[in-house]
Amino acid sequence: MTTGNTTLTGILTWYRRQAKSSTFGVALILLALCIVLALSTDRFLTQTNLFSVMRAFSFIAIIAIGECMVIISGGVDLSVGSIFGFSGLITAIALNRWSWSIPGGIALGMAVGTGFGMVNGTLITRLRIPPFIATLGMLSVVRGLAYAITSGYPVRTPSPYNVLGQGYLGPVPYPVIYMAALAVVFSVFLKKTVQGRRIYAIGGNEQASAISGIRVNRVKMLVYTLAGLLAGISGVISIARLGVAQSTAGLGWELDVVAAVIIGGASLSGGKGTILGAILGAAIMGVLRNGLVLLNVSPYWQQAVIGLVIIIAIAADQMRRGSDQ
Amino acid sequence: MKKLMLMALVLLLAAGVMPLFARGGGEAARPDQITIAVVPKGLDNPVFLDTKSGAEAAGAELGVRIIWTGPVRADATEQVAVLEGLIQQGVDGILVSANDPTALNSVIQSATDAGIKVATFDSDAPESARLFYAGSDNYVLGETSAQLLVELAEGMRAPVDTAVLTGVLGAFNLEERIRGVRDTVAGTNVRIASVQAGEDDIDRSVQVIEDYTEANPGLDAWIFVGGWPFFAPPETLSALRRFRDRGGLVVSVDSFYPMLEFVEEGMADYLVGQNFFAMGDLGVRHLLRAINGETIAQEIIDTGLEIVNPDNVAEVKAAKDPW
Repeated sequence: MTTGNTTLTGILTWYRRQAKSSTFGVALILLALCIVLALSTDRFLTQTNLFSVMRAFSFIAIIAIGECMVIISGGVDLSVGSIFGFSGLITAIALNRWSWSIPGGIALGMAVGTGFGMVNGTLITRLRIPPFIATLGMLSVVRGLAYAITSGYPVRTPSPYNVLGQGYLGPVPYPVIYMAALAVVFSVFLKKTVQGRRIYAIGGNEQASAISGIRVNRVKMLVYTLAGLLAGISGVISIARLGVAQSTAGLGWELDVVAAVIIGGASLSGGKGTILGAILGAAIMGVLRNGLVLLNVSPYWQQAVIGLVIIIAIAADQMRRGSDQ
Repeated sequence: MKKLMLMALVLLLAAGVMPLFARGGGEAARPDQITIAVVPKGLDNPVFLDTKSGAEAAGAELGVRIIWTGPVRADATEQVAVLEGLIQQGVDGILVSANDPTALNSVIQSATDAGIKVATFDSDAPESARLFYAGSDNYVLGETSAQLLVELAEGMRAPVDTAVLTGVLGAFNLEERIRGVRDTVAGTNVRIASVQAGEDDIDRSVQVIEDYTEANPGLDAWIFVGGWPFFAPPETLSALRRFRDRGGLVVSVDSFYPMLEFVEEGMADYLVGQNFFAMGDLGVRHLLRAINGETIAQEIIDTGLEIVNPDNVAEVKAAKDPW
């Protein structure tokens, strides 16, 4: 009896502490969504389906890690979908047409993504172009390059390479492992290192940060470069998952990625957000998409339902946090 | 002052860059040479590359200069802008795959008023001033695919639950194919259990097929009204492979080179393809006749369908250029 009470009090205290955290709210939304789906279809809670969903959203989630850091710093990167597509494409071309080795192809794709990220950083810090405009321009430039080098033809990747995206460790698909590993690394970076804390600082108040001695431009350069790198990594893995690279890959993904980060509790005005939140945000959208297919919802309605569920969920979370304050 | 100089330099650079990307349009035009512009729905879609080959081959043979241009992505508004540009250029003929059955009507009228001969291919604008349409009937395409499935399903216990994979919802040609499928299976043992959309995207199409097949162990057949998932290699579609192993039927529209592998590997019963090469070839030939003053009596030039199955796949493959 007493033990029961202590446990209950413990849970309540823990809940009160968590209640105001937005990450906790997103986790609740995801949980609620999963419960609803599990009750409506017995196909949702199977190991195969769950891992398939996780693999499906892992690519958006990996890009969202980079986007999350950019948004925390007070910026935004709209070019990630294009960089994702181009990095995958250049890797596929290197492997397929230029007969590069697999490590060489991967390194090239990642280097190209990083390079585009650095261009974004340079445009923003040196030429002082607002991030929205600079990365919107790059969205177009990089997508255009993808069309230009392929003239629209899809490029297949060799089978040994595809294992990297299609293989499993036990029941867990490789892309899910990459996502988890990258999430841990960048969470630690963001929370525990000086550079990571500076990203929050400049997003919270750029002028104060500059006055207190933070080299703001250097931090910005770093976040855009990392965003490019992560979009590149995601692109390189996604073509292995699919076995083919297409010039239209990642078209419009910047919206899904930004949405994942914002659903995950980050603020577009900067200074707030967590990697875990961004991953959960991507998970919510992935689970929703999967659920609508499992429930056999007419595709003519799916788009509208996704938007509606996201709005309702976030509104509910706002009310929950609001009533606690 | 220094800043001003820098700005001027940047502007000059920007202006200087543009002509670098201006297209030579293949060979230079001789003043008396006839020019026909071929305009696909979008330059990013590889299915039109066979049309480009067909048009260019016919152009080379007939001494006609071919311009290949169009909106980067399938978009009716951008396509109208491209056509307006071609009217300004004063080309002699335009062969266009309409992004929308009605949105191009006024620009096709302006072109015709300017003395340009206009025809459509692949996707028609039936109420416009175009002279003819070279392509296949999308309704017949759906009908043929469904007919093949009905034959395969003959004798199977009703209902033969079938899922349809489409691309972007509302696209006229795809909706026509679905209508053809629905009308054909009506009254047979085949039942359309669901329509799923892959948004004209390989990735989404693969994911939808894998999810849906996995979630519905009672599913008996798939009809793809476009071949998007078959641009990925067969190993990517593991749930579809298991579906085939338990006797599931698969019929897909389109028969491009990479897709033939699925018939070879036993992952599809039939591919029903359109002849994109003939659309370019016949389109250019008929347009040239119109430019030379002949009347084109035929309003619809049927480019036919190509049916691929395990019996003829080797032959079909030998006749196609590898991608």
